[in-house]
Amino acid sequence: MKRIAIAAVAVLLTACATAPQSKYDWGSYEQSLYQYYKTPAEMNALVASLDMTIIHAERSKHVVPPGLYAEYGYLLLQQGKAQDAIVYFNAEKAKWPESATLMNRMIKMAEVKIIGEVRQ
Amino acid sequence: MKAILQRVLALAAVAIVVTGCATPTPPPHNDYTAFRQADPRSVLVVPVVSRSVDVDAPDYFLSTISQPIAERGYYVFPVNLIKRVMEDDGLGDANLVHGSATPKLAELFGADAVLYVVIERWDSKYAVISTTTTVELSYSLRNGKTGDELWKHSETMAYDPAGGQNGLLAKAIVAAFEKAKPNYIPLAKSVNGLSVARVGRGLPAGPYDAKYKTDQQQY
Repeated sequence: MKRIAIAAVAVLLTACATAPQSKYDWGSYEQSLYQYYKTPAEMNALVASLDMTIIHAERSKHVVPPGLYAEYGYLLLQQGKAQDAIVYFNAEKAKWPESATLMNRMIKMAEVKIIGEVRQ
Repeated sequence: MKAILQRVLALAAVAIVVTGCATPTPPPHNDYTAFRQADPRSVLVVPVVSRSVDVDAPDYFLSTISQPIAERGYYVFPVNLIKRVMEDDGLGDANLVHGSATPKLAELFGADAVLYVVIERWDSKYAVISTTTTVELSYSLRNGKTGDELWKHSETMAYDPAGGQNGLLAKAIVAAFEKAKPNYIPLAKSVNGLSVARVGRGLPAGPYDAKYKTDQQQY
């Protein structure tokens, strides 16, 4: 009987704590993005953080959160790596069809940059 | 006697288990008729209007809004990319964006719904050993096709960074530290998280959630 009581209490203690399980692994996205807004010069820190989150998710076969491929691609574009940026814009579009309109626009933007560089 | 006592205790424990978690009657939920009809898959978060003098408040908000909405099962457009692209398009002024037509904006990015947020209040009261920050945010999600409001919410929260600490010394240390370099990510996370995920009041499960279209009882 005592065992039942203990078991019941144990169930009580665990049953109520039903924190919804996370769908995605966000890494330090929130903190890194905020830090970037405070010190925009340190863009590399955000780039590295996003890179790590994406690699980590892909390696452990988790889904990369919505928007992260695109955020990463955009920072690459800002750093002048237009070719790499397109890869990530395409990855976002493939994983999240809802992003197609925006990603097509971003890919075009990157392509214009590449053509501009070739002409120079 | 001992046996009886044990039995009573066991029964009491079981009774607690049975009643402990059950919410007897679920509170009436919001009217989600328009939301269900629009059935949005994606959410575009536009620049936030801030009525607070705290210059960091919009950044705290923007950094912590994507995660809770995505975890509810929606596609959230990349907030930083959107912020920059909108600035390049001459749409960086939050007041201007909040005042202009939703469908045009939604079409530009291919968004099903647009989220407008106003930071009504974000201020800190400094005391000797602790600082209390009170925030109030109002949220309005509008249909990308028609501009009609799909969801409306207001959330107020008071936050004391030293609240979880025991003892005056610990509090004093935390307060000193927080004053030097306050981190309100946990606060912003809680406000956005609660607003979006509260049963009956937040957003119904989106297309990337297992409960998509099966949560009418709660929402």
